Amino acid sequence: MAPGALDGVRILDLTSEMGWYCGKLLADLGADVIKVEPVGGDPSRGRAPYWNGTPGRETSLRFWYFNANKRSVTVDLEQYDGHWLFGELIKTADIVIESWTAAERTELAEHGVDPVAYMDSQLALVWVSITGFGLDGPRAGWQVTDLIAQAASGIATLAGYPDGSPMRIAGNQAYIVAGISAAQGALLALLQAETTGEGQRVETSMQEALSICQETAHLQWDFQHTSRERMGEQHRMPGIGTYRTQDGYIYSAVGIPGFGAPWSELIRWMDDEGQAEELTEPEYAETFASFNMRDLALGSTLDDLGPVMSRAQEVLTAFYASKASLEVYEQGQARRLLIGMVASPADIGDDEHLNTRDWWLEFDQPTRLGSDDARVQMPGPPYRLSNTPTSIRRPAPQIGEHNQEVWVGEVGIPAEDLIAFAGEGAI
Amino acid sequence: MTSTSPSSSSPRRRGRPLDGIRVADFSWFGAGPIAGRTLADFGAEVIRIESEARVDGLRLGQPQKPGKSGYNVCAYFNNFNADKRSFLLDMSAEGSRDVALRLIERSDIFLSNLTPRIFERWGLTYEELCEVKPDIIAAYQPMQGLWGPHRDFLGFGAVLTPTTGISHLSGDPERRPVGVGTNYPDYAINPGHTVIAILAALRHRRRTGRGQRIELAQIESVAATMGPALMDYTVNGVNQDRKGNQSSWMCPHDIYRCADDPSGRERWIAIAVRDDAEWESLCAVAEGSSFASDDRFSTLLGRRRHEDELNQSISSWTASFDAASLAIHLQSVGVPAALVQDAEDMCEHDDHLAARGFYAYLNHRETGISLYDGPIVKLHRTPGYLDSPAPLFGEDTFEVATKVLGYKAEEVAELTASGVLS
Repeated sequence: MAPGALDGVRILDLTSEMGWYCGKLLADLGADVIKVEPVGGDPSRGRAPYWNGTPGRETSLRFWYFNANKRSVTVDLEQYDGHWLFGELIKTADIVIESWTAAERTELAEHGVDPVAYMDSQLALVWVSITGFGLDGPRAGWQVTDLIAQAASGIATLAGYPDGSPMRIAGNQAYIVAGISAAQGALLALLQAETTGEGQRVETSMQEALSICQETAHLQWDFQHTSRERMGEQHRMPGIGTYRTQDGYIYSAVGIPGFGAPWSELIRWMDDEGQAEELTEPEYAETFASFNMRDLALGSTLDDLGPVMSRAQEVLTAFYASKASLEVYEQGQARRLLIGMVASPADIGDDEHLNTRDWWLEFDQPTRLGSDDARVQMPGPPYRLSNTPTSIRRPAPQIGEHNQEVWVGEVGIPAEDLIAFAGEGAI
Repeated sequence: MTSTSPSSSSPRRRGRPLDGIRVADFSWFGAGPIAGRTLADFGAEVIRIESEARVDGLRLGQPQKPGKSGYNVCAYFNNFNADKRSFLLDMSAEGSRDVALRLIERSDIFLSNLTPRIFERWGLTYEELCEVKPDIIAAYQPMQGLWGPHRDFLGFGAVLTPTTGISHLSGDPERRPVGVGTNYPDYAINPGHTVIAILAALRHRRRTGRGQRIELAQIESVAATMGPALMDYTVNGVNQDRKGNQSSWMCPHDIYRCADDPSGRERWIAIAVRDDAEWESLCAVAEGSSFASDDRFSTLLGRRRHEDELNQSISSWTASFDAASLAIHLQSVGVPAALVQDAEDMCEHDDHLAARGFYAYLNHRETGISLYDGPIVKLHRTPGYLDSPAPLFGEDTFEVATKVLGYKAEEVAELTASGVLS
């Protein structure tokens, strides 16, 4: 197996669900990521969805996805002996990642688990804190969840229908984007530490990391003192928006200057299939040709555009509705029209392109339910590095699965001492 | 290799992790330039290749500085290109490839989000780059990858949001999927993943002397963020649908309308209750409301079973409150809550962001003092920062050609006369 790009880097991952993605990204790049869990296990192990729909802490697909390639040890950081053990383990680490709340941070510091102290005695250590609002500032102590971060970052207000409520983007995007931000910070600090011997504190604020996804909303405020609002289904011009098909929906982005084939190609397509109606008449081509980026950005809507555009919308809507989503997507793209199908998880799982590219990773995951392992197919990595490819080295760990291996084999705790520590609940 | 540092860098600043790294940035629009911007914030010298023949559409986009026009006044472009240098090289002109390769030879990182067809036509495939710079780290961000049946499919964030399941899974289950209101994957997911891959490759190069090719298929990069929902299908055969603002384990968990502000602006609050203790705290704040005294809601199971009714009841309670004050009150008793902020809130009234100094305000020659996003992660010892606002179109062509590429002034004049540079 080729070594990963982060071969030889040891990372202690103390995060809950909020911080899992950061450690996953680094583990998949080859780092040795050890989940350091409380004695009962990471409290967010048991989140849906579950293997075969069976709820439990060892059957969570979510846990498996974000924790494959990691190892697990347990330790009670609030016990004296646990704190001592952690102190021995951290000496072997290059990076620590945690997602503690401000209250947890204070409480752990009282038990001697204090980032500043560790960094003082281990100069090259990189300590990454994944937080909702950062380590300082008036809201540093605020409670956060994905929904809260999406609200505070300015992105929820842009999603949804104008006559409905602001909407959360699916997939715990605050945790994802915070993980991406934190992984960038961890690697930047690692490069610095490997060059200069100086580690440092790295912090991610979910609010800040997500706020860049406001697109132009904050920039528009700065220049024009107006706030962007959610558009919902409002069509800015025909060809741009969500359309119904025979079996679902597609998103069409045809007619944006500089992006793919122009509207004339859409008319040619409809005409080739005998569905262009009168759109082949010159006035349609002329009207479409006169549109530019500015018209789009200034937010003209279909109602402002007059009868020619309304008619074009009607014909196009009927055309898309006469086909299946996959047909619209593939045939449209073959004509270099910017069209995407509104894909469900099943559409993505069955996607010919991703399957041809062998994107999915497969492995056997122990479940502790009877003797059978679960056969798991999970999304592959976000990128492919030609010399340091991602592979599945191990399934997601069970609680404390690597206690013996790490504490005895790597930290050097005598086996009989480990038994004593276990007896008193330190591990 | 050695590298000239940007002329504008201020000596009082500390070193940054990417000092001495040069990036040949052939990308445009969002996902590529934002990756370059992060590298620049942390010390890299990023040279943006632009041309009159293929002007980055964001230079012509909105919002533009009121009363101004031209290539230099759009904040959409400027925000993603702070800290960079603008080098005008027309890749369709004869002789341009030699100049491009000369830059790549002197660079550590090549960055492109063009379709495979275009960089193949330009002769800038990884194998070709290696001929002049064997240890180059070449990052490509094709929409669907460098190979496969959909290799030449076109797109950007607006198309990725539907094709990766985000549109299907986000929003109101009773209504049509309409995406998330922005080209969402372009801003954090795709540029961020690209930077991670580049940094990992840099480390590998330091240890082994070997560069490599990074292929970030944008569709894979975004779909990778939807892991649990995709696995529910690949493992269980369950095809999930959108669930609005509902959570699988928190309840209540929604966005509720509060009192409009005096100007009639809608105000909303997000509330997420994770356990019974937080529920009791919410009820204590909402004493007297219909839900606070309703026993059916005292357990998670009960709240889930009557979730619609519960949400309606909470909405009628929040309707008379000021959202920002209510969020502060709820947070003070440990209940996760936040005002749903819009751009005005973010820029004008968010004391927290202001105290942390997140937004940078830089003085740009044509737009004046303008807002830029701060660095996306905070390093305490060697922080990223913005050295300079976005470059004017082509403002660094001569300097890059002479100082970085080593052309003599008369050679630059020849290249300009033949349309390669401008």
